[in-house]
Amino acid sequence: MMGYYIFTYLCLAVFAAAVLWRIYRQLTLPAHVRWEIYPVQHEPAAKAAYGGSYMEGMNWWKDKRRRSTVNEILYMAPEIGLMRGLWKENRSLWWFSFPFHLGLYLMLVVFALLLLSAILLLLGFAEDGAVLSIIKGFTIAAGWIGVIAGAAGSLGMLYRRLADRDLRAYATAADYFNLVFILLFFVCALLTALAADPFFAAARLYILGLLTAGAATPAYAPGQSVPGALTVVLGSLVAAYIPLTHMSHMFMKFFLYHKVKWDDSPLTPGSPLESAVKQNLQYRPTWKAAHIEADGKKTWQDIASSAPKEMK
Amino acid sequence: MKDLIKPADISRASAGLCRIEPGDLAPLPPPYEDFNATVLKPLPADKVKALETSLDDTLAIGIPKPATPEEEEELVRRFLSGLTKLFEKKNNWTFLQPLLLSMEHCARCQTCSEACPVFEMSGRKEIYRPIFRSEVLRRIYKKYLTPGGKLTAKWTGDIDLNWTAIARLAELAYRCSLCRRCASVCPIGVDNGLITHELRKLFSQEMGIAPKELHEKGTVLHLRAGSSTGMNPLAAKDSVEFIQEEMEEITGYKVDIPWDVEGADILLLHNAGEMLAWPENVGAFAILFQAAGLSWTLSSEAVGYDAVNYGLWYDDVQLSRVAARHAHIARRLKVKKIVLGECGHAHKALTVIADRLLTGDLNIPRESALVTLEAIVKSGKLKFDPRKNDFPVTLHDPCNVVRSMGIVEPQRRILRKIAPRFREMTPHGVDNYCCGGGSGFAIMSGYNFTDWRNLVSSRKKFLQILQAFESEPPQTPKYVCAPCSNCKGAIRDILGYYDAEKRSRLYYGGLVELLVNALDGMKKPIILFGDEPSWT
Repeated sequence: MMGYYIFTYLCLAVFAAAVLWRIYRQLTLPAHVRWEIYPVQHEPAAKAAYGGSYMEGMNWWKDKRRRSTVNEILYMAPEIGLMRGLWKENRSLWWFSFPFHLGLYLMLVVFALLLLSAILLLLGFAEDGAVLSIIKGFTIAAGWIGVIAGAAGSLGMLYRRLADRDLRAYATAADYFNLVFILLFFVCALLTALAADPFFAAARLYILGLLTAGAATPAYAPGQSVPGALTVVLGSLVAAYIPLTHMSHMFMKFFLYHKVKWDDSPLTPGSPLESAVKQNLQYRPTWKAAHIEADGKKTWQDIASSAPKEMK
Repeated sequence: MKDLIKPADISRASAGLCRIEPGDLAPLPPPYEDFNATVLKPLPADKVKALETSLDDTLAIGIPKPATPEEEEELVRRFLSGLTKLFEKKNNWTFLQPLLLSMEHCARCQTCSEACPVFEMSGRKEIYRPIFRSEVLRRIYKKYLTPGGKLTAKWTGDIDLNWTAIARLAELAYRCSLCRRCASVCPIGVDNGLITHELRKLFSQEMGIAPKELHEKGTVLHLRAGSSTGMNPLAAKDSVEFIQEEMEEITGYKVDIPWDVEGADILLLHNAGEMLAWPENVGAFAILFQAAGLSWTLSSEAVGYDAVNYGLWYDDVQLSRVAARHAHIARRLKVKKIVLGECGHAHKALTVIADRLLTGDLNIPRESALVTLEAIVKSGKLKFDPRKNDFPVTLHDPCNVVRSMGIVEPQRRILRKIAPRFREMTPHGVDNYCCGGGSGFAIMSGYNFTDWRNLVSSRKKFLQILQAFESEPPQTPKYVCAPCSNCKGAIRDILGYYDAEKRSRLYYGGLVELLVNALDGMKKPIILFGDEPSWT
């Protein structure tokens, strides 16, 4: 039994390390030049509706900037939860992609609910008490919807990638593997739910076992059913694998939107951003084209202030 | 059904990866059906022999074929060296984060494809698909620059790297107008336009490869002579003097254009191409600014009378040099702000991109002329008579002003006030289509590239213009308002190429001309439809 726990611990460690590494790398990249694209959803609603910006105002630098976090959330909630962008721009794919993503989201929700109920059990909450019963209810609903949607969605996505020549032309072996891998996980989870664990009770006990390194009783031993064991193994592997691939867009989308697409912050005198840019201008580029005249010693600032020979 | 061209095909030798056959392009409606079978004229045999022409039917750069295998190897080596630098902080801090994010998170869902006017209008030619060049670069990067890449290439998407692939990729970087419509629809936020931009930088900054109109005749000439038009300060002043006289003759309004006024509120930066190709635009700004009593000036210092910054499209270093010169000039003149005339890419280059290059006292506030013009209209100081603009008007949205800066409504609020027959294109605003001349295409004319632009990249805009005016009789003169020099250039060329002035009476111009055309007190109209005045 410990073998399963150790395996899951390792996978979760890979997951955490990969997520943290990706986020750390983004946070330590130099401030880049602006490359926003409108609409920028933290503009006040009236402007965001048509894609307007603060630069539509005369002497905009004298105005206090108005940002609307509410508007941003109102936009992002259906974007993340319902994949509104795909619905709008590529609806035929949405019918497959949405259940696929819904399945994955709900697996995260199920994991969180199982974790919560395991913690509450350890804290002494009664298993048949109101709180745990409500959580159990949500777990069962999320679990069933998630595994069905995930299995159907990943099967559909696999079909689309094979059947659609435009998608097939750009698909790599890794793309097919990813879909088959996730499909296998969902199929195993579905079989487990159907055959052995319709109320996700064993799953909760496995999480309880994970939390206590198997010390709590009764902790679930995945070997009790083959699909159950496979679900634990594949689920752990999927968790470890996703942040290592382009599928990390599930959480990296934050940076794609907030650090590029919607990064419209103007540089103000004396700001931390100005300091960061000043630092950047001290980098010493090594581009080799003659007109750059970089030698690895001159800074960006030196080069930007100079006119190379051909321009004199 | 023909086999699809795939990313790996870029390195396989063939006469051409893409050919546009008669009838391939998206059809045009009457009375333009006779263009539906038009294709590009073949490149001359001597060019095909000497230059890399194996991508498609045209050439933007015209890269000479390497003479020896050693030369080929050296070029491949330099390409990889440049690619490495794109991912280094010291070399590419300017775009490293956006590049990494777009390189690593594409799901290849093809949502971007349907948004791309070049792909759509070409008859869905595979190489013009937004993801095609990105995927080629992604695979090269993974295979040749990541640890174990060659071992995992079969897994992550294999591709060979050779001179054929590199030469095609260089040309292919100039088949996307960087309109970023693809990026705006990507559910993840991946930006294929950005990847194209970075590819152009790699070729320019490491290998010295760029279209001559952007580099030698563009930024180099700009920094050396003072303007990418080749005008030195004296010639610029002469041109403006001529414009003053012309304005008085055309409109009866005497205008005095100020030069180098220290401490003026506004330094007005025009695309110097306006002075030569559309002098009425420069004149109209002068009339309005003078009539509104603004404190403003032009600069006669080299670079200071030309707002363009072609570096935006292909080279961060050239971009920085030009932007720094603009800022230094504004600082020396002690102006309160820079106002950018009707030039979209100049807007984006100096206001948005250079925002994180210009620090300290070089950070002079910058504003769009569209905003300044709206303030003039709103101030009530001037009276406009919309009846003078009693002709159908539609508005083209320059990508750099609208999608890249969010300046959407000021120009519309003006038009609603002064152009009673204004109607929108479909789609418009931030969903607009590029004029087809974006990212330098409007000024690139080598070989048969102008024809490619007119036939392929500007085709969607032409269709949009026709659609906007479809309810109007052919004999009614119609005005396409394009508040951007490069967009105007592209629209001028499509109207000419398709003989649209004669067939549909289509004319084009800027926004400020419409304002002056409606301005009270003008003795004659500034807008003419051929020889016919727009009002009498």
